[in-house]
Amino acid sequence: MLNLFNDIKGKARVFGDDINTDQIIQGRYLTLLDYKAMAEHTFEIVRPDFVEIVEQGDIVVAARNFGSGSSREEAPMVLKQVGISCVIAESFARIFYRNAFNIGLPALIVPEITKHVSEGQELHVDLVQGTVLIDETNMELKGSCVPQRMLDLLTAGGAVAWFKQQIS
Amino acid sequence: MGYTLAEKILAAHTEDGKADAGDIIDAAVDFLMVHEVLGSRIIPVLEEMNFEKVWDPSRVLVVNDHWAPAPNAESALIHMKNREFVREQGIKHFGDVECGICHQVLAEQGLVVPGNLIIGSDSHSTTYGAFNAFSTGLAATDSALILATGRIWLRVPESLRFDVTGNLSRRVMSKDLILSIIKELGTDGANYQSMEFHGPTIDEMTVGSRMTICNMSVEAGAKSCIMPINKQVKDWLGERAREREWTAITPDDEAMYIDRITIDLSEDPIEPMVSLPHSPANGEAVSEIDSIEIDQAFIGSCTNGRFEDLKIAADIVRGKKIHRGVRLVVTPASRDTYLAALREGFIETLIEAGAIVTNSTCGACVGGHLGVLGPGEVCVSSSNRNFRGRMGHPDSLVYLASPATVAASALKGVITDPREV
Repeated sequence: MLNLFNDIKGKARVFGDDINTDQIIQGRYLTLLDYKAMAEHTFEIVRPDFVEIVEQGDIVVAARNFGSGSSREEAPMVLKQVGISCVIAESFARIFYRNAFNIGLPALIVPEITKHVSEGQELHVDLVQGTVLIDETNMELKGSCVPQRMLDLLTAGGAVAWFKQQIS
Repeated sequence: MGYTLAEKILAAHTEDGKADAGDIIDAAVDFLMVHEVLGSRIIPVLEEMNFEKVWDPSRVLVVNDHWAPAPNAESALIHMKNREFVREQGIKHFGDVECGICHQVLAEQGLVVPGNLIIGSDSHSTTYGAFNAFSTGLAATDSALILATGRIWLRVPESLRFDVTGNLSRRVMSKDLILSIIKELGTDGANYQSMEFHGPTIDEMTVGSRMTICNMSVEAGAKSCIMPINKQVKDWLGERAREREWTAITPDDEAMYIDRITIDLSEDPIEPMVSLPHSPANGEAVSEIDSIEIDQAFIGSCTNGRFEDLKIAADIVRGKKIHRGVRLVVTPASRDTYLAALREGFIETLIEAGAIVTNSTCGACVGGHLGVLGPGEVCVSSSNRNFRGRMGHPDSLVYLASPATVAASALKGVITDPREV
């Protein structure tokens, strides 16, 4: 199963520091029960055209403290819903990081990644090694390996699937 | 070898009694708090899990607080789902739309005692550390797993210790202290860490002032924020958790901290602070900023909507009128807080000065209802987050401050140092 996570490919969508959960999905949309309807508002404040340009498999690349603020699981959920295959940031707020793996969205920590990656560049991500290869420049960046606990969650398909495996 | 407050409390919740910073542990949870996220997100996860029964219905608090009472059909439906779940599962502790904000309600009902491990489906669940508990916020999937099993895996955090001495001067509040600390740490300065607060200043603080500090620790990224108990906490527990047994937890002398920060307020006094848009870490002394005209002043939220907050606001506006064109919205943190303030005459004083006093709810703080901002509007708020769009329109501006500063600003129409009115 792990080979699912050693070559995630996608185009980079680059963001800055402190993209908090209200910037990912605003509080006023949290009463929408349908994730598809909610996801129409992904990154609405910071990048109003995001849902129009995003393509299946795209990778969100961000600077420091991605996903700070609210504990809302809706934040990684809308990213998954619009087709994001992986989020790479220089650092994550802890609740977002945990939530992402819980719902089966890979997250990788790579220091200074926003200095090297530009919008639209094709990336190859290896979660097991914690590396990112930038296609255009052939530059490889080394990040932190994803902890085994988190890889287990991803391999199972998220925390609920992992829980079902544990009890069966 | 010694242990921090976080390590000691977590260790008491593992099977082998071990919890060293950096360890991944499987812990038994004492209590779970969930709000509207139960109806909107947790119940669908439970259905996916083929869930049948809550692990212990006496260890769960369900609260309808964010959109209370429902401002639209979507939130009304979520409230209905919560009520149905409470009924079906026989949940012992339920606060419906009249009760107020989850964190205040949990504390008022005596549902946190020292040494507890409490999880909440809300990032501000760090608040309960004021009662010497380890508490943190998680989201829907983790809450669902706890509802089913009563257990959670956690990484034991490193601890960042603060020792605070000296007094906060007149009209300077614990909010000003925590805003100045978040300014120094930045929004991720305590990411993954547990903040631990000690010192005479913390020992002498009211329960409400302590809750404000623990509540806002998450704005520096903290996983938890824990204080040793003091007399005020003992009195609170004596009144509200009389039948419960507990033991106060203290850290070992040899405990290992990632860093120790000493704050001496007599040497470096803190002034009233304001965090400029759009980050809680953008703190400045009110006396240092240019004149900022406001449209709205908001006193409320799980951070600063408590009795002492309404009291200081009432003291500041008593016998005066708020500035023409400014809306002062006051949202007491809970029904009990509201009643206590009403009996003391604070509510009457605030209304006479021109305030709108709403029912207890998260309301304006989450841009939900009862004080949502329009394009370009400016609000000075006693709440916890000034993220872009948090309280309404993406082009509105939120300045965070203490309830004293908010009340003084409402009188003057510009952000004002409360010592000047």
